[in-house]
Amino acid sequence: MAEEVPSASYIPYVHSQTLTSHAHALSSLKFSSDGRLLASASGDQTIRTYAINLKGDPIAEAAQVFTGHESGISDVAFSTDARFIASASDDKTVKLWDVESGSLIKTLQGHTNYVFCVNFNPQSNMIASGSFDETVRIWDVTTGKCLKVLPAHSDPVTAVDFNRDGSLIVSSSYDGLCRIWDSGTGHCVKTLMDDENPPVSFVRFSPNGKFILVGTLDNTLRLWNISSAKYIKTYTGHANSQYSVSSAFSVTNGKRIVSGSEDNCVYMWELNSRKLLQKLEGHTEPVMSVACHPTENLIASGSLDKSIRIWAQKK
Amino acid sequence: MNAPIIDPLQGDFPEVIEEYLEHGVIKCVAFNHRGSLLAAGCADGSCVIWDFETRGIAKVLRDNDCAAAITSVSWSKYGHRLLVSAADKSLTLWDVSTGDKIARTTLQQTPLHARLNPGLSSPSLCLACPLSSAPMIVDFEIGCTTLLPVCVPEMPDVLAPPQRSKCAESGPPFSPAAACFNKCGDLVYVGNAKGEILIVDYKSVRVLALVPVSGGSAVKNIVFSRDGKYLLTNSHDRIIRIYENLLPAKDVLRSLEDLGKNVDGVDGVEKMKTVGSKCLTLFREFQDLVTKMHWKAPCFSGDGEWVVGGSACKGEHKIYIWDRAGHLVKILEGPKEALIDLAWHPVHPVIVSVSLTGLVYIWAKDYTENWSAFAPDFKELEENEEYVEREDEFDLMPETGKVKVSSVNEDEEVDIETVEKDAFSDSDMSVEELRYLPAEPIPDTNEEQDELKLIEARISASPASEEAVQNGHVTDLVSSPQGEMGETRGKRKRKPSEKAMELQAEKAKASKASGRTVREKSRAVGDQEIDESVNGGGDDDDDAYY
Repeated sequence: MAEEVPSASYIPYVHSQTLTSHAHALSSLKFSSDGRLLASASGDQTIRTYAINLKGDPIAEAAQVFTGHESGISDVAFSTDARFIASASDDKTVKLWDVESGSLIKTLQGHTNYVFCVNFNPQSNMIASGSFDETVRIWDVTTGKCLKVLPAHSDPVTAVDFNRDGSLIVSSSYDGLCRIWDSGTGHCVKTLMDDENPPVSFVRFSPNGKFILVGTLDNTLRLWNISSAKYIKTYTGHANSQYSVSSAFSVTNGKRIVSGSEDNCVYMWELNSRKLLQKLEGHTEPVMSVACHPTENLIASGSLDKSIRIWAQKK
Repeated sequence: MNAPIIDPLQGDFPEVIEEYLEHGVIKCVAFNHRGSLLAAGCADGSCVIWDFETRGIAKVLRDNDCAAAITSVSWSKYGHRLLVSAADKSLTLWDVSTGDKIARTTLQQTPLHARLNPGLSSPSLCLACPLSSAPMIVDFEIGCTTLLPVCVPEMPDVLAPPQRSKCAESGPPFSPAAACFNKCGDLVYVGNAKGEILIVDYKSVRVLALVPVSGGSAVKNIVFSRDGKYLLTNSHDRIIRIYENLLPAKDVLRSLEDLGKNVDGVDGVEKMKTVGSKCLTLFREFQDLVTKMHWKAPCFSGDGEWVVGGSACKGEHKIYIWDRAGHLVKILEGPKEALIDLAWHPVHPVIVSVSLTGLVYIWAKDYTENWSAFAPDFKELEENEEYVEREDEFDLMPETGKVKVSSVNEDEEVDIETVEKDAFSDSDMSVEELRYLPAEPIPDTNEEQDELKLIEARISASPASEEAVQNGHVTDLVSSPQGEMGETRGKRKRKPSEKAMELQAEKAKASKASGRTVREKSRAVGDQEIDESVNGGGDDDDDAYY
């Protein structure tokens, strides 16, 4: 099933840089929407940002370190204008940081268990966070107040994401369900589930908000159509049965799905044909998180081996 | 936007008060083009802009020169500018994103309504309707005001621009008139005291057409629907009339000129009327036959399907909703505070009403939980259905096993990038709309951070010790954070029922200490209901006595 079928026009990615600034496993990586910064969150209780210089060598240079959390961090997210970063941590809080200065602005209290995932809405006036306490909370960025508590799932919430106009939130959980919520009212709009419900480890909206990419702990990635509530694509070949491995859409050079894997590689499939295009090898431990640069053909991957690897297309 | 997913069967008008917003004494409200921001003018001369999604204050526009009550607020089409008219006869134009004053003029009389030209992206041209004289066009750039004709003189020569003195002779003195721009902003529709609608080209200051309103009573309000297809007039005879706009959306001036040329044989006022009959036709009339009340702030819903009018008779707060066919579908009744202004959200079935006490009430649909959204194979039944089991239902090996149909054609092309054109972008996309004001997080102060650490430590503690500890420790920290939080956080409360809210407000203010602990406790538990937390506060008081 997992043959490497390189099509004639496919230019493979090659390893460009390795960053080893963290002292503990990497949990999450995100590029800012203007592509100038990369943020990484780690179990060493810090978040780090790197400036991305596409013409430079090395491409990524360390910029800031954010300290203040009292426990490991599971997720990090940029606001749309890249002025703020939100981080979700095992100390049950979400913290809001200023990107330029690295200082802590606000602490959002309310969750009663580890906060696992966090994301800004496109307008960046609200933050959604999912936690081991089985709820999703929506916070007001200006005041830090919790606007809504969604009784989302019956197991830890593993991922939250907003769609492109910020009107919908998708949440996934180990209970095997993906739920779609109206972000304004907090009401559940839809639940997506199949006959077998393997724990869902990751979910995100497609760029146009019509589809969601769902990663489940049965080594499968699926693309679901929200309105028909059925999945239309399946991607296999990688290993994902233990960790919350993240995946991403790559649209800068043909439509692709990129995902981390527990066999230490980064997998890339073609979206429509589902063919495996490339396996990026180099990490020595499971790859937990991947991020695709918004405009350039650049992929960043973070792994349990405490390193971040940057992959660029061969010139 | 999410139309395909959300249930279309739910009716499109609000039913209950969801929340209220407070910031000083509010006098008037206006939504921006998309309904993401709500601007409100206060009695102290400042203007507050709420982020309607988070219901938090996004900006406060304060002019130190102006301390008079605001009479109206109006957004520019793309939301970059806000026009504010105040009781000290001034008109101020603000830049919303920077919060700076762009221009300010003073008129002869206090403008009751002022509207920015909806056709221009950065308008500096506006229409102001003063209390006791003709409506005028104010141009901020050139700095001049042009009076608009309120009546058609009974003379053949209609082309001469009427001056102020002329109007004073032919029309009744102090004739208030209502006026509004049409959708593309090149015509002004004036409703005068004689009960006529005049279509005026404000650039050449000419009356192009005239439509007499049946009944001939003074027109108090005149409003277009959002798509420009319907016009609403509210007259002194307590009837709301809906007219259908027959003119095309674009190139209106040319069509009017053509209509004027095609009319032969008549001249002067008759010609105006003939042209007018081709511009507007009466569609419906609404009135309350029982109480015959005066309507306040009538307007259309965002999609033009509903018409809403407010009533402030006898100090009540009632909102009447009709469908466009003329049937009264709902009467919303609010608390016993007279209604002074009303606005319908451009997109959602939400109404915002302002009461005499200065509170802004938000009306929304009463939500009934949709259980099939939580479990897709859960069917909600209207009534009990008797279940008849199959022959082989209880067989150990049923004949027809469940056949898993995986008829998914995974080879189909999937498009993850194209986005459909937004139904609400009824304009060219060349100008970027200001939909949101960037959120500026208010930094936690050191005291707040210490307090939060205390709370955090207590989250794991048992409830009994929690209360005792809270009473002891938090009392010290009450004074300063309380003050700060009161200012920085705009007041928001949920589901007020008049008496209950008054009681809660008293309790919270009187016993600051318990009110404070209660708020922290409620946050720790993650509970939003104020009802419960106030009752919890009562228990705290008891503990303190031991």
